[in-house]
Amino acid sequence: MGPNSPGTDQIDTLLSIGFVVATILVVAVNVALIYAIRRYRAERGAEPRELRGGERRTQWRVGGLLTVFAAAILVVSLIYTDKARETPTTGDAGLTSARSKPLQVLATGQQWLWRYDYPNTSFSYYKLVVPVDTTVELELVSTDVIHTWDVPALSGKRDAVPGKTNRVVFRADEEGVYRGQSATFSGQAYAAMRTAVEVVSPDAYKDFLAQQKADIQAAQDRVVDLIEAGETP
Amino acid sequence: MSPAAPEIVVDGFPRRRPRWIEIATSADHKDVGRVMIVAALGFLFIALIELLLMRLQLVIPENTFLTPVTFNRLLSLYGATTIFFFAVPLALGLFYYLAPLQVGARGTALPRLGQIGLWLFVAGATVLYASFLYTPSEAGVNPLPPLSELAYLPNNGVNVWAAATGLATLGFVLIAINLIATLGRMRAPGMAWRRAPVFAWAARIGSWLLLVTGPVMLAAITMLLIDRNYDGIFFADGSGGAPLLWQHLSWIFYTGAYMLILIFALAAIAEIVPVFSRRPLAGRRAVIGSLVAIAVLGTLAWMQNMFTAPIGIGWMYFAMLMSLALIVPFGLIFFNLIATMIGGALQMRAPLLFAAGAISMISIGLASELTHSMVAVAWRLHNTTDATAATHFALLGGSVFGGFAALHYWFPKLTGRTMGETLARLSFWTIVLGALLTFVPLFFAGGEHGEVVDAYKFFGGAGVSAWNAIASIGAFVLATGIILTLVNAILSRTGGARAGHDHWGGDSLEWFTLSPPEPHNFDLLPDVRSDRPMRDIRAAIAHSSSRREQPAAESQPVA
Repeated sequence: MGPNSPGTDQIDTLLSIGFVVATILVVAVNVALIYAIRRYRAERGAEPRELRGGERRTQWRVGGLLTVFAAAILVVSLIYTDKARETPTTGDAGLTSARSKPLQVLATGQQWLWRYDYPNTSFSYYKLVVPVDTTVELELVSTDVIHTWDVPALSGKRDAVPGKTNRVVFRADEEGVYRGQSATFSGQAYAAMRTAVEVVSPDAYKDFLAQQKADIQAAQDRVVDLIEAGETP
Repeated sequence: MSPAAPEIVVDGFPRRRPRWIEIATSADHKDVGRVMIVAALGFLFIALIELLLMRLQLVIPENTFLTPVTFNRLLSLYGATTIFFFAVPLALGLFYYLAPLQVGARGTALPRLGQIGLWLFVAGATVLYASFLYTPSEAGVNPLPPLSELAYLPNNGVNVWAAATGLATLGFVLIAINLIATLGRMRAPGMAWRRAPVFAWAARIGSWLLLVTGPVMLAAITMLLIDRNYDGIFFADGSGGAPLLWQHLSWIFYTGAYMLILIFALAAIAEIVPVFSRRPLAGRRAVIGSLVAIAVLGTLAWMQNMFTAPIGIGWMYFAMLMSLALIVPFGLIFFNLIATMIGGALQMRAPLLFAAGAISMISIGLASELTHSMVAVAWRLHNTTDATAATHFALLGGSVFGGFAALHYWFPKLTGRTMGETLARLSFWTIVLGALLTFVPLFFAGGEHGEVVDAYKFFGGAGVSAWNAIASIGAFVLATGIILTLVNAILSRTGGARAGHDHWGGDSLEWFTLSPPEPHNFDLLPDVRSDRPMRDIRAAIAHSSSRREQPAAESQPVA
């Protein structure tokens, strides 16, 4: 999974750092443990040694070492997290109208589907279509329970909490379809609550919006016609 | 005229009641503690069955073995059972049984409070499992509002969950109050806190932790019940309610409980390692100080479960600071436990074996929790099975490995008999294999492919099918291993080799009394002069018997 948005780059790097640090810690503890168990067996004639003097000093040294270690991880984590939060700027290949201000899309979580409302009042369910190389700002809201929007290739995950607005910002660098799944338990069909982001060229995006708006209008007109003809749609 | 013969009047002497009534009505801390320990192990067995059913559903993609509703009910039961009815009561039961003995108390300060605590816990368990007769909760491990509100789950499952966990939590708080009072006021002469065993310290720290975090959970549960039953709006969005409020309150309790389980396990290991290494614990004061730090810092890190929620970045950095600061106390404890073993004369009996397993498993769990506490990493890994695996390694290491180490170590004291060594070894290696097979694949499924937690199915082609199949097989191995130890305990209860009052040559005061102890705990209390009172007593006996040239005959030595 290559980085497809500037923010995910930082997340991936920090994840690798975390994985290496965790592996080192696990190996250190377990190697010391296994060494102690294999080397100091009573049945192999080991005699308990007196604890050496200067014990308090040892504790301060080990504690100090651990503090430095924890501080180093904290600093590294802060640097990468802050970078991952930066709002990327729309590139040359992106939507020209999104140069000054990110393209805003409202993402509404509802049991068990995502709805996306675009600036031109059209909307889509399940699939979000965005232009390539363009900064997109998703405003996450929920109409029922808590959901989590998560498309790992484009961004970190964020919760959509009823009554609150959360924000996801990303800039897709390559065209393609990126998939994701809601990550907060939300009831019966939670496992099937998936979403997809289709990244297309700015022109294709405009076409999609126009087409979507026309389709929605046509569907609404048809409903009106049916009602006027005396049928229930 | 013959002298008057002494006459023994037996008329009207109350008949001894059946044993189960004696135990059920007893306020003695040992009876209460024993019921909690046995109940906790029983709920471990039930939780295993729930885990196996869920893993069976997740063995192949898009399986239809369980319906989503059944899966969600099992998931909710599993979450409530493992925390509220297995891990916390096992720790608290052992604290309640042993800590008063360790500080040389002849009973507890508020025995009826402890008894009420036990019966609230039993009532909670009954309510939870009676829900099989109507509807169990289907709101997940932590029933987050608004999902747990009446509008989304209109059946009474969440009410049952709230009543059950609320009763149990109230019980824990009452027992914690009694422990704090007992440990504070009823220690033997000379048993200053600087001489108290690490496990007694852990009981004190853990009780304070429950006293602080338990009422927070009770408040949250009460608000949820008001919301659901009396048109409350505490957690409803709009009209002034806040769904995030529940997350703050419940995560304070859950994070506190997590820390309690680790404090219990590490303190039990800190009792076991010196005894089986034949040398005192290295850095005793640092270990005790670290346990206090874990309780404080760990609970303050509750928002590390909310890195994806709409809260300010400053709060996230605060939570990250607190959880990364935990590296220091946990690191110091690991260092001192292993430093005690290096240079010792290790006897690899079952308690030390399980203790070593616990150190290993907890190290895996905590190292992966470390990555989850980095904010940006949590944006990727939060609510994936990677988090499931991390939590399970830490808590399985704490409550199963640590709990079984404690069980094997104190079984002679609790029952007067020892647990079978062969079965213990077989069980240990089966559990190790099972735990690795079950949870290591979840690291890969969640970390690399983003498989989400709590889902009743996964889809083929997501790259997680093989990992899930391995995990499901591993769950059966894990369950087999755990059941072997439960069987071992049941068989050894009546058939184990008889143990003396001081089976392992321990240094703390619980080994001074009989196994199992009499209701009044001690016939006579020693004057404590160091942090290793039993060693002083053994030395005094050896000294006096060498002077008199005759062995001590009493089963209970006299200081």
